[in-house]
Amino acid sequence: MKDVYILGIETSCDETSASIVKNGTEEIATVISSQIDIHKNFGGVVPEIASRHHVKNITMVLEECLEKANMKMEDMDAIAITYGPGLIGSLLIGLEAAKTLAFLYGKPLIPVHHIAGHIYANSLVKELQFPLLAVVVSGGHTELIEMKGHYQFEKLGGTLDDAIGECYDKVARVMDLEYPGGPKLDKLAATGNPSYKLPVPLKDDSYNFSFSGLKSAVINLVHNEEQRKEGIRKEDLAASFQKVAVESIVTKARKAIIDKGIKNVIVAGGVAANNGLRTAMKALTDELGVELSIPPMKYCTDNGTMIASAGYYAYLDGRRADLTLNSKSQDTLK
Amino acid sequence: MKVLYIDTSSSYLYTAIAEDDNLLAEIKEEYGQSLSEVALPRIVSMFLKSGLQAKEIDKIIVVNGPGSFTGIRIGLTIAKVYAWTLNIPITTIYSLEAMALSSKKDTVHVPVINARRGYVFGAIYDKDNKVLLKPQHIKIEELKKELNVYRTYEIITNDDLKEFEKKSSYNPDMLKIINHFKDKKEINPHAVNPEYLKLTEAEENQL
Repeated sequence: MKDVYILGIETSCDETSASIVKNGTEEIATVISSQIDIHKNFGGVVPEIASRHHVKNITMVLEECLEKANMKMEDMDAIAITYGPGLIGSLLIGLEAAKTLAFLYGKPLIPVHHIAGHIYANSLVKELQFPLLAVVVSGGHTELIEMKGHYQFEKLGGTLDDAIGECYDKVARVMDLEYPGGPKLDKLAATGNPSYKLPVPLKDDSYNFSFSGLKSAVINLVHNEEQRKEGIRKEDLAASFQKVAVESIVTKARKAIIDKGIKNVIVAGGVAANNGLRTAMKALTDELGVELSIPPMKYCTDNGTMIASAGYYAYLDGRRADLTLNSKSQDTLK
Repeated sequence: MKVLYIDTSSSYLYTAIAEDDNLLAEIKEEYGQSLSEVALPRIVSMFLKSGLQAKEIDKIIVVNGPGSFTGIRIGLTIAKVYAWTLNIPITTIYSLEAMALSSKKDTVHVPVINARRGYVFGAIYDKDNKVLLKPQHIKIEELKKELNVYRTYEIITNDDLKEFEKKSSYNPDMLKIINHFKDKKEINPHAVNPEYLKLTEAEENQL
């Protein structure tokens, strides 16, 4: 079979990224322009500022990607684009760029759901096995998704309120850790003891999650300790929070693995970089005898590589969009 | 010379293809909520109508602001990706310049765009469209003060600005705009950026 080259473009949040992937599994070139240092000053991603940087960077990122790959637009078989979910103003920049290229070169336009990208980041490392459970954990998502085959997604459950990554960043903020605080909280947790008592969220029979109660409990605890002039033991609080948050994910994942006869578990999204979660998922999958795939750190944050990889399987599945394709801030993965 | 013109800075999509003194195709459309769904498809439809190929364009003129931030970015992204990938010369102009230039009145031209909270994006041009007050984000009161020195002037806007009693609506003369700017110096597509003329709120709050 002829090789298929997909150009993937991702601008859903604060990274402008383009990547060329061969046959869905082989990364040829990737460029990521991150705005993390810019948004740090504001304690979080400012959507209007993110959009301004995407439009500034988009052609430079595309050019550098093609140069790195030593390829031309004409060499691409299709253009894959994150159409959503994400920040609408940010999404639109990548979308318009992708549509313009699709028009000018007469290439198929492949709409890719951001979460499909995070899941397919794993196929750059190892072939996926079905039935598969994707544990999607990021700043915007906390979802359990079952896949019975390539590009067949069924959402089993998700968060009813805050996403886990969002919760990590907010808790880190009350603990005065610099944005993005999630990774710093993870590091701190490794040095502490889980000695603070925090409520375990949503102990029920569903595949759903809830993190707002846990977040509030930590915030209240910090404020109470401050009022009593007893400083909190940061590393212990980090460890206590991490233990409960990770346990919540592991408990629901365990249920899904058993209920659905899962063979392969994937942890995807920014929080897949969390060491506490990685360790716990490893223990769980070892115990149940199923395969665990966690993408390398470089594929955990947003990037065009995962979009190009997912785009390949969407391309094989016959998915196409025309030039009326619009960005969507929210959309169900299907 | 074949020129593609794109202005998505307002709630209207204005785009045209011209060859020398002929307007081959143009679109003036109030797009509602979905500029992204119509912008590129309309440009494609203009190519079909004009009989030109996308690669035949000799120059792109794009409005880079001021106006709707999201709107500007949509048109500008199309234009800069287009110019970069096909290596076509590109130049940017202000929405306010296009507005002044389209006026048929022989007087001072004052294009204004509602920027809310008592502000407009505005500029003042003489009857020959020389700049008297450069495009800026300005309090309506301030702009009115600036206007005191002129005996007559024309406020040009498509916005419902009650602060100005007499207004002319803006209906772009795209052939005139294209011919006026077709020789304007080209810029590197990577350096083509919006002119917001205003910081984001987050940045303002830090000042």
